[in-house]
Amino acid sequence: MKRLARWLARLYPPQWRARYGHEFEALLEDVNLTWRDVFGVALSALGEHYMSEPTMSPRIVDLVSRDIPHGYELETVVEYPRDDGSRMLVRGFLREVDLGDSYVTLTHSSRGSEPAQTILVCGRKGDIDGDFRTDETEMLVLRADGTVQRTEQTVKTWLKYDAIRVGLREKYRNGMQAGLTPDDIFQQIRAASSSEA
Amino acid sequence: MSDPALLVLASLAEGDKHGYAMMEDIQRFAGLRLGPGTLYGAIARLEQRGWIRPGKTTEDRRQPYTLSADGRRHLEEQLSGLNQIVRTGLKRLRHA
Repeated sequence: MKRLARWLARLYPPQWRARYGHEFEALLEDVNLTWRDVFGVALSALGEHYMSEPTMSPRIVDLVSRDIPHGYELETVVEYPRDDGSRMLVRGFLREVDLGDSYVTLTHSSRGSEPAQTILVCGRKGDIDGDFRTDETEMLVLRADGTVQRTEQTVKTWLKYDAIRVGLREKYRNGMQAGLTPDDIFQQIRAASSSEA
Repeated sequence: MSDPALLVLASLAEGDKHGYAMMEDIQRFAGLRLGPGTLYGAIARLEQRGWIRPGKTTEDRRQPYTLSADGRRHLEEQLSGLNQIVRTGLKRLRHA
């Protein structure tokens, strides 16, 4: 548990880790950690990325989510600030198809002017132990220069992530029905996670 | 009172404490257990606002914090507001 929490603490922004990293790790050593604590560390680390500087937070330029048979598609254009003050567009397309015992995920994304790369993951769901499931997966990374990287691996999937994802998609649907923009919805989610943290 | 920032300020009003000591103190006086992520989220926010400041780090990397004068003033204002709500609520309950 402590190892997982220490690993999750690396998700905090670099400037946060530089200031609080040592003392935070000392606290993680002192505390009898629960799964709730570990989840809290993950949420707090993500929150720090969004809250560190309001003017430096990412902005959703466009986001469209569609339900498809046995899954969903997500198209996103997100503007991220760079350290030099310029901004970078990250464009992404995600399609997830889940057949119960197995799933396929397609991600096609590009950062700034870099050529897009495509990642295809095919997974077979395995045994569940607590909040985690062990899956056998095969991953293909297809790059624009014509190279293909193939990897077979056993991965641990955090089951609560599914519930978080379902909740976010519901917030998106409700927000769109209420006439909000995707960025309005994102800012609302960010504000809610800020007050919870 | 469950606002983590206010709980941290109330804990430091007694004297300087590091993170783990704050967690134990808050559990004792408020009956609430703040997780490490929540606690340090509050500490970072309070330090940014100048309401607490770090003291000298101990050899075991534990970092004590001190309540600043501004932090004490903010805590007093918040607690006075809460006190007013508590007194009004109790008074209304007695007359209900």
